[in-house]
Amino acid sequence: MESSSSASAAQEFDYLFKLLLIGDSGVGKSSLLLSFTSNTFEDLSPTIGVDFKVKYVTLGGKKLKLAIWDTAGQERFRTLTSSYYRGAQGIIMVYDVTRRETFTNLSDIWAKEIDLYSTNQDCIKMLVGNKVDKESERVVSKKEGINFAREYGCLFIECSAKTRTNVEQCFEELVLKILETPSLLAEGSAGVKKNIFKQKPPETDASTSGCC
Amino acid sequence: MASTSNSQSSIQDDDDQEEEIEHFDDFTLASSWERFISEIEAVCRQWLATGPKNLVKKDAVCLDFSKNIYKVRSELKYAMKNYSMEYYFEPFNDGKVADWISTSHDLQQSFGVKDFLVIAPQSASGVVLDAPEASKLLSAVSIAMSNSSSLWPAFVPVHDPSRRAYIGIQNMGTIFTRRFEADRIGSQVPIKLMHLEGLYELFVSKFAYSTVDLSMHLFKVHFRMKLTYRTLPTDDDPEVQQESEFLESGGHSEFETHNKIQWDDDCPWSEWYSAEDPVKGLELLAIWSERTVDSSLDMAELENASPLEADKWFIFPNLSPHLESSDGSTIGFASQLRLLVNALDSSLGAQFMEDFVSAVENSGSDNMKSSAVIPPPTVLDRVLKDLFHEDAEVKLDFADAENKNSRAIKGAPLESLFAQFCLHALWFGNCNIRAIAVLWIEFVREIRWCWEESQPLPRMPTNGTVDLSTCLIYQKLHMLAICIEKKHQENKEHPDVGDKKTSPYIEGKAQITKQSSSLLEVTEDSSGERDSLTARNDLGSHGVATSLSNSEQQNFASPTDTKLSEYIRMGSAGVVGSTMLLNSCQQMHAPFTQDPPLMTEDMHEERLKAVEAFGDSFSFSAQLEKEILSSDMSAFKAANPDAVFEDFIRWHSPRDWENDDNGELAVSQAKAGEVSKNEWPPRGRLSERMSDHGSSWRKIWNEAPSLPAFKQKPLLDPNREGEKVLHYLETMRPHQLLEQMVCTAFRAAADTLNRTAFGGLKLMTSKLGQLCLTMASTLKSLQRNSLSVDSEIIEDLTRLCVIFEHVEKLLTVAASLHRKFLQAPRLSEAIFSDFYNFYLPKMGTGSGSHDIDKSQEFTKKQQIMAREKEVVASMFTPPTANQSWRKVLSLGNLLNGHEPILREIIFSKRDHVSGGYYAGSYAGGYPQEIETYRMYLCGTSNDLRVALAVASCD
Ligand SMILES: Nc1nc2c(ncn2[C@@H]2O[C@H](COP(=O)(O)OP(=O)(O)O)[C@@H](O)[C@H]2O)c(=O)[nH]1
Ligand SMILES: [Mg+2]
Repeated sequence: MESSSSASAAQEFDYLFKLLLIGDSGVGKSSLLLSFTSNTFEDLSPTIGVDFKVKYVTLGGKKLKLAIWDTAGQERFRTLTSSYYRGAQGIIMVYDVTRRETFTNLSDIWAKEIDLYSTNQDCIKMLVGNKVDKESERVVSKKEGINFAREYGCLFIECSAKTRTNVEQCFEELVLKILETPSLLAEGSAGVKKNIFKQKPPETDASTSGCC
Repeated sequence: MASTSNSQSSIQDDDDQEEEIEHFDDFTLASSWERFISEIEAVCRQWLATGPKNLVKKDAVCLDFSKNIYKVRSELKYAMKNYSMEYYFEPFNDGKVADWISTSHDLQQSFGVKDFLVIAPQSASGVVLDAPEASKLLSAVSIAMSNSSSLWPAFVPVHDPSRRAYIGIQNMGTIFTRRFEADRIGSQVPIKLMHLEGLYELFVSKFAYSTVDLSMHLFKVHFRMKLTYRTLPTDDDPEVQQESEFLESGGHSEFETHNKIQWDDDCPWSEWYSAEDPVKGLELLAIWSERTVDSSLDMAELENASPLEADKWFIFPNLSPHLESSDGSTIGFASQLRLLVNALDSSLGAQFMEDFVSAVENSGSDNMKSSAVIPPPTVLDRVLKDLFHEDAEVKLDFADAENKNSRAIKGAPLESLFAQFCLHALWFGNCNIRAIAVLWIEFVREIRWCWEESQPLPRMPTNGTVDLSTCLIYQKLHMLAICIEKKHQENKEHPDVGDKKTSPYIEGKAQITKQSSSLLEVTEDSSGERDSLTARNDLGSHGVATSLSNSEQQNFASPTDTKLSEYIRMGSAGVVGSTMLLNSCQQMHAPFTQDPPLMTEDMHEERLKAVEAFGDSFSFSAQLEKEILSSDMSAFKAANPDAVFEDFIRWHSPRDWENDDNGELAVSQAKAGEVSKNEWPPRGRLSERMSDHGSSWRKIWNEAPSLPAFKQKPLLDPNREGEKVLHYLETMRPHQLLEQMVCTAFRAAADTLNRTAFGGLKLMTSKLGQLCLTMASTLKSLQRNSLSVDSEIIEDLTRLCVIFEHVEKLLTVAASLHRKFLQAPRLSEAIFSDFYNFYLPKMGTGSGSHDIDKSQEFTKKQQIMAREKEVVASMFTPPTANQSWRKVLSLGNLLNGHEPILREIIFSKRDHVSGGYYAGSYAGGYPQEIETYRMYLCGTSNDLRVALAVASCD
């Protein structure tokens, strides 16, 4: 997967996909995102509410712009988070292989939220077991992960944000799957770049760096 | 193998010379008569050899009225005249002669045959008038048949076509021949032949060649009868009346003043229009299966029998002819949606909705003027009243009425203000762009009034979060409704702002200018104290301790006028288990917190844009969340004056606090609460990521003032956000409005139809679900706020209207059947499923595809079970005096005073052919029975057709 810096906002792209990271606080969502977008791993401040990063990649011959939303995972921000499910073509459910409750919460809380808030029936879901570098502390086996993924009908991968094992593959697999789904493809098509701001005053700040 | 040349050789001399010259047939030796016979024979042989199944694959055509019967055709010439020979056959039916239920060809009915030939001259009338010519023709066929050893019966039409008279012949093996004859009395049926006795005697007279009084003799014959009944059309057909009213009113359904109760009055669509009842009536077939009769007396008895005594009952609906046409002539949601799509098309160029209204005065475009009617102000007033005069009963629990698939359509939920607006717009004038513009401008004006007067928006929830799956206008209106609610709460607590709740909506509009100036003053001084009040009102709905009412809250919160103090607890919602603070021996209190601010879709997108523009600068992207976090921290500080940052983390993000006691993470509040008081102070530390001194969390904590939620600046400023919503509504581009109207109107129309009671017919339910999915995928192209709507999208939408029309028609059929057969749900389900399967292929893809099936009528019959008979019979209500004077009853077997509209009878006589006279071909030894006489009688009191088939040994 070729990738390029996300700094330049005016890059050309064929498709824009919105991805969402969910899961309990502390499972490593932000680390995973950082690891993917800037190839680094550092101890991050806990996410406040919702954060996101943009990454341009070229995959399957298509130029893609990925807007990846990272959520806090704490109760407090749940209502705000719910609005981000909408319009997401991919949802990444992350758990920590060294903490069982982060895994059980996926089915108890998170999967239910997806059903409730995601309006896109074709949306691709992916289950990610993070922190496999801490193999000695592992409490959730790979088999359990696979079983849950099969039952819930989603993709599955284990990875480590720290060692960057499988991080690229995780996003790559998800995006490839989205590319295979015509309805999602239609949604993300660049031809429908939203223009609603063209008529709105707040655009003034955004446009200065936008079109040059 | 029987090729044409082979068959021709059969009438040629076995001359070697001629055999050498292939394909040269010397007809000089044969007469033209013989050549004609050979031609017939050749064609027959070919058809025989090809076989029915192959003929279907080749050039056979299926008959319109029945899927089972096919025919092939060949042209012949004899004596300067052209004849056509047709072979009718049922390729997928082995041996069985058609029963009385499935549709069959007239000649099959008349003579009890299956496959047959018809030979007729190709003259204009198609009928052989000349008797000698007819019998000559028939004998030619007969010879050809026996030459080709074909057993097909062959018929020749005679007389005037209206008599439908035929003669026919059939070779039955080597011994028997059957002869056929059919004729009709078109008027003045003799009284005798109106009654079963007379018909019986007519049949008997065909074989009892005696002059004795037939009534004195006993002749055992077989008898079968089928009676057809039809429900009467309702008095003075309301359809006619209604349609004329409709036209007078300029297509506006609300003008209709019905005296009559319409069949669909309680159907959900009747609020908008009245549909024609697609089921015009019912036809009932009562069948007496075969029985033996041996005297006219038996017949008289049968004629007195009630149809309830018949062995079998079948029913089928008479459907409105309008069901077949999909030219948009039927008024319904589909027809109006089509108009709305046209309006969308014409909205594309315009800048503002106002442009369409002002075009009335100055634009010279005549076609615009003539077609774009704007209804009079009285109609406008009525619509606005309906929209804004909220009934106390309007349900805001939208979810249950909707198809679960309709959520995928980005529109407003059914019954909500904007959905109701869209449905009204469909029927406002003829839903042209100018009428829509007028309605919209007034609509927004009313909303502006509600906003200025802090009056609740009708049909809108005043709480909850913004549902991004709805259309933007709905999101905005929801936001506005919440802002108005907050503003209204403020006003309530401000004695100086008068309560305007009582001013009527329409009247109040006129006062806007007067009142708005004073209102603006109130809006402008919104600061400090007012904000705190807003915040306090937020509290009741927050999740931490929602059950506390305002008054109870006072117990925890200090009075608002008390000076802020670090030592006074404010805005507490109660203690958190038995959790103790770290630095002071006190219980931890959970604060009331502000609701997170509401955001509509465009606000989310603004955020996205802004983040993009500023790169990944964390400080910006988390701005909003920082405000929320800071607000929470302030509230926490106020509720726990002695708390430190770590305390906040223990409450807010327990995972980021590692408890020392057992070296484990304190994973939940409950667990944290287990630490008993005497173990104070609790030992532990922040998680690694949280303890980082550069942690933005700690920075925010340090900067957050101690302020209870009700004293904080609100996260959502209702005055600002509400005004933004109105700005959006007032400056909308026409195409943006129309796009959202189209989506919402489709969704609301489908959801309205979805409420129809049709007895849970599964096919209908799934069709409605399918419709929603189709709509969702088609309308997606409109939901993207893209600037251009191209002609392709308009085409797609037009196609969608056609699909919608089909589903709407199906639904009226389902609803009509359901209410007609309330007591016999099995029947409505069975009939509907028959109709569904019949109608489905006609739906096509939505474009005007021309199927060959188009002309086919729905004739599938459903058998009625014994226990359903009473229900069905009760549908034949006794005719009123008005209805019965037209008819003189002359046939028997009345059903609740209804005479059959058609009576069909088959008499037959069978004889054994064991040895003796009939032997010969049946030398097998076991006795055979063949039908020697068969008579089919079909008619009413002034029309009688008789067909006779007689088998004899030549
Ligand atoms: N060993 C290890 N630690 C990780 C990994 N991913 C994240 N972490 C740590 O787990 C903690 C929580 O990570 P964070 O990304 O903030 O989780 P989030 O709340 O889901 O966003 C941090 O201290 C990370 O350093 C991983 O793959 N391996
Ligand atoms: Mg995070």
